Amino acid sequence: MDNPIVIIALVLVGLILIVGLWYIATMNTLRQLEVKVGEADSGIDVALTKRFDALSKLVNTTKGYAKHEASIFENVTKWRKGLPDSLSMEQKQEFLGKMNEVQSGINVAVENYPDLKADKVFINLQNSINEVEAHLQAARRLYNSNVSTLNQKIVTFPISFVAGNINMAKKAFFEADVAKRQDVDVAF
Amino acid sequence: MDALKPYQLKKSAAEKFVLMGGPIIILGVLIIIGLGTQNALFILGISVIAIGAILILVGSFRYTNVVKGFKKDYLPTVIKDWIDQGEYRPDFGLDQSIVYACEFLPGADRFFSEDYVRGYIEGVPFQMSDVKLQRKHTTQTKNGTQTYYVDYFVGQYYVLDFNKNFEGAVQVLESHRPESNRPFKKVKLESVAFNKTFKTYATGEHTAFYLLTPQMMERMMELEKTHSGQLGFSFIDNKMFIAIHNNHSILEVRMFRKLDDSLIESFKNDFRLLDDLVKELKLNKKIYKEI
Repeated sequence: MDNPIVIIALVLVGLILIVGLWYIATMNTLRQLEVKVGEADSGIDVALTKRFDALSKLVNTTKGYAKHEASIFENVTKWRKGLPDSLSMEQKQEFLGKMNEVQSGINVAVENYPDLKADKVFINLQNSINEVEAHLQAARRLYNSNVSTLNQKIVTFPISFVAGNINMAKKAFFEADVAKRQDVDVAF
Repeated sequence: MDALKPYQLKKSAAEKFVLMGGPIIILGVLIIIGLGTQNALFILGISVIAIGAILILVGSFRYTNVVKGFKKDYLPTVIKDWIDQGEYRPDFGLDQSIVYACEFLPGADRFFSEDYVRGYIEGVPFQMSDVKLQRKHTTQTKNGTQTYYVDYFVGQYYVLDFNKNFEGAVQVLESHRPESNRPFKKVKLESVAFNKTFKTYATGEHTAFYLLTPQMMERMMELEKTHSGQLGFSFIDNKMFIAIHNNHSILEVRMFRKLDDSLIESFKNDFRLLDDLVKELKLNKKIYKEI
């Protein structure tokens, strides 16, 4: 053990072992975070689908009153059977934007029909849309929070080195279009 | 406020007895210390102390009766004015099972609860009371085992019906930890300031984000700033539990402190916490508008 070469070799092996373990641990952490982002992404899909279903019922109820909105809604019915897995975050945002457009149009149209506004079925649908909207916002915030954590790690040295090696790139946030969402005040 | 007048007068009269008793006791002590070698003066000193003590006892007894009367007759009326269907019962408290239902207060060896209030705020039913929880401690001394009790929670406990349907449970705690068999996990919300002030535990992350909207977090932070003590919130089975450990009792009248409109106003302020929270919950259909 007095041989300096052996000592240097042991130190080197020790260092390589430490770096290797750190690399594996970091890689696992990044992968776990990526899984969490994926789970949160699924949460957004579920919430968007629920929002779509609720809006679909609302459009059917108000078809006679809000014809223009019903026709806009036809444009988004291609996803009637659920959101495809391949949909990018940008496309999801676009989808949500379309739904918000329909919703705000219905809100404006309904203002002219007091009977409809007082209709129990309509009120229940509005309430369920509020509930679904709340879940969608929760899913969006959870997703963005996970993305933020992952992105912060990815850009921090030396974790960025590991992220680069496993081809992990920064994830896109699910941006909320404030102007559009303010329109989606469905309380009467 | 005319209705307060009789209590103010009675309280003031009772305090006068106590105020007179104190100096008389001191006088008695001085007589004994200064001139007590002579038997007659010693007896005089003892008599003076006894008179002082009697005055203090009478004052304290009268004071207790004034406070009892104030809580029994005056406060229920004003609480009825402040709170829809408000009911105040000074000698009654929340049941232990309700207090432990928050699942973050550990079981106590001695449980006290009083000053019970219930009613509706903005149509939301609530109940609350002062709660004191004590833990038993024992030490070995040369005279044997000595038992004593230490407070680990003294403050207010609120229960509100929560008008949102949610799965699982969420706890937002300033100092406690979950005392539960549920699979609670620590959750980090997007607000760094909120995460620094509170620890959030939830059985599911989505539920935590669903219940703790940015507005709700903001409100909780405001409450933390405006209320001394440690706050704990728990959302379980469509109920919201709030525990404030502040070593303070609400609706308390203190000797030599004013019993006037400002005190009544401070009592009213104690309920403002509820009012704020309930309004926040009631407005949940709009709270996402300005995210």
